[in-house]
Amino acid sequence: MYALQKIFRLDFIDNNDILFVILLIFGILIFASTLFFIVGLIKPHAKLGELKARTNSWWVMASLFIGATILNHTLAYIAIGLLSFVAFRELYSVLDFRASDRRAIFWAFVAIPIQYYLAYIGWYGAYIIFIPVAMFLFLPLRLVLKGNTEGIIQSMSTLQWVLMLTVFGISHMAYLLSLPEIPGFSAGGRGLLLFLVFLTEINDVMQFTWGKLFGKHKIIPKVSPNKTWEGFIGGVFSTTVFGYFLAFLTPLSTYQVLLVSFALAVSGFVGDIVMSSVKRDIGVKDMGSSIPGHGGILDRIDSLSYTAPVFFHLVYYIAY
Amino acid sequence: MRKIILQLLYCVIVRLFLRIFVGVKFDKAKFLLEEKQFIIVANHNSHLDTLTIMASLPRQIVHKVRPVAAADHFGKTKFKEKLTNYFINALLIQRKRDKDHPENDPIYRMVHALDEGYSLLLFPEGTRGEPEVQQRLKPGVSYVLLQRPQVKYVPAYMKGMGKAMPKDDNLIVPFTSSLTYGQATLIQSNDSTEILQQIEQDLNRLK
Repeated sequence: MYALQKIFRLDFIDNNDILFVILLIFGILIFASTLFFIVGLIKPHAKLGELKARTNSWWVMASLFIGATILNHTLAYIAIGLLSFVAFRELYSVLDFRASDRRAIFWAFVAIPIQYYLAYIGWYGAYIIFIPVAMFLFLPLRLVLKGNTEGIIQSMSTLQWVLMLTVFGISHMAYLLSLPEIPGFSAGGRGLLLFLVFLTEINDVMQFTWGKLFGKHKIIPKVSPNKTWEGFIGGVFSTTVFGYFLAFLTPLSTYQVLLVSFALAVSGFVGDIVMSSVKRDIGVKDMGSSIPGHGGILDRIDSLSYTAPVFFHLVYYIAY
Repeated sequence: MRKIILQLLYCVIVRLFLRIFVGVKFDKAKFLLEEKQFIIVANHNSHLDTLTIMASLPRQIVHKVRPVAAADHFGKTKFKEKLTNYFINALLIQRKRDKDHPENDPIYRMVHALDEGYSLLLFPEGTRGEPEVQQRLKPGVSYVLLQRPQVKYVPAYMKGMGKAMPKDDNLIVPFTSSLTYGQATLIQSNDSTEILQQIEQDLNRLK
């Protein structure tokens, strides 16, 4: 009975800081939806279809994320694990794996619940080496046992890379929830997770918006022709400002939170162009079509796979 | 009772399993409700193919569609035959024609099932073959369509199934795959070869 209560405890929002940010998120969404609605009335010919689809998807994603991570502690790990699972499946499916790689890929799938279980029980030492060390050594063995050596180097490296990006990287979001409590810091792991995801997504939106409004000088045209210096600098600046005002979600001092927000904004950009280059290599525009207006799951969490580990380890080093 | 079991099985359990775990992207199949009867003609790479098509069907007609399967494979033992009949609603046929005993003849049995009011699901490639490689179509489907030309055929193309669960492996490894339906079409010829060509073109267009 006690165990059941522990699992299904609905720790509803009893935290004013977190509640404030949730209201802020929905406030922004209401603002955006109203804005596009009014602009659509004034200028019926403006091409708002994609922006509207994007905003509607934001509504769904924000609700799902908040519902899954804030309402129940256990559910949060399962939800983020599911996110890893879908991202892993989406990415490996478009990469050219050999038929003989199936068994190793199966074990890579098995690694996902293990990784999230280790995060759930808060065993940091095992969690942090499981994929970079244990799976790194084991998956090549499974490939070798199959005996097909032609193209095995590519399979070994690609599989590990996919696993690192979509499972190890994303699972840092979950481990934020397992961090020990710090006296006097009430927002806790949920606050940090909210900070990370909100700032990463704001960073994406800001880089996009600044780039659309003022973008002229391309940063890296061969990879992503839409990325400009104006968008990058404007985005990093706005994200850092946002981080400064959301500092109450973290246990960091003002200078620390500025530094962390800055690093988060830059790494979000890096994650974005890394995934862009992969898409360019395969020759697709989007990774999938599961989120209307955004593409696949990976098109949305590409920056998170970079910001999550960077943010986590900076905070872990500074505050824990 | 059986109808409810089939609806629950395919429209809830199998559909959720395929969508969330395997990663199948389903095409809308509501348009099938407008047809009284049809023959779904699909490419074949995996055991998941039958489940995918069945799970994509609208709830109202899922018990009215019978997948056609080879008796030598699925009817090996009495138990397997019973299971296949009950849960897959399959029409087990032998691969060879038998004109002397019409009750054994595959074409006769398929036409008979149509006359009973069922729709059919056919894999004219016959076997699952290599992953993602389409084989020559076997002519059986055209004979059936020739005998009942008022029945429309519906091309269905599945991508990625052979990677989620290939022929030589019974382990399912999730793989982003998809099912696409074409339009319900009447045959436009009296010649079996031309009908097969028409179907093959329709399937290729869905790729």
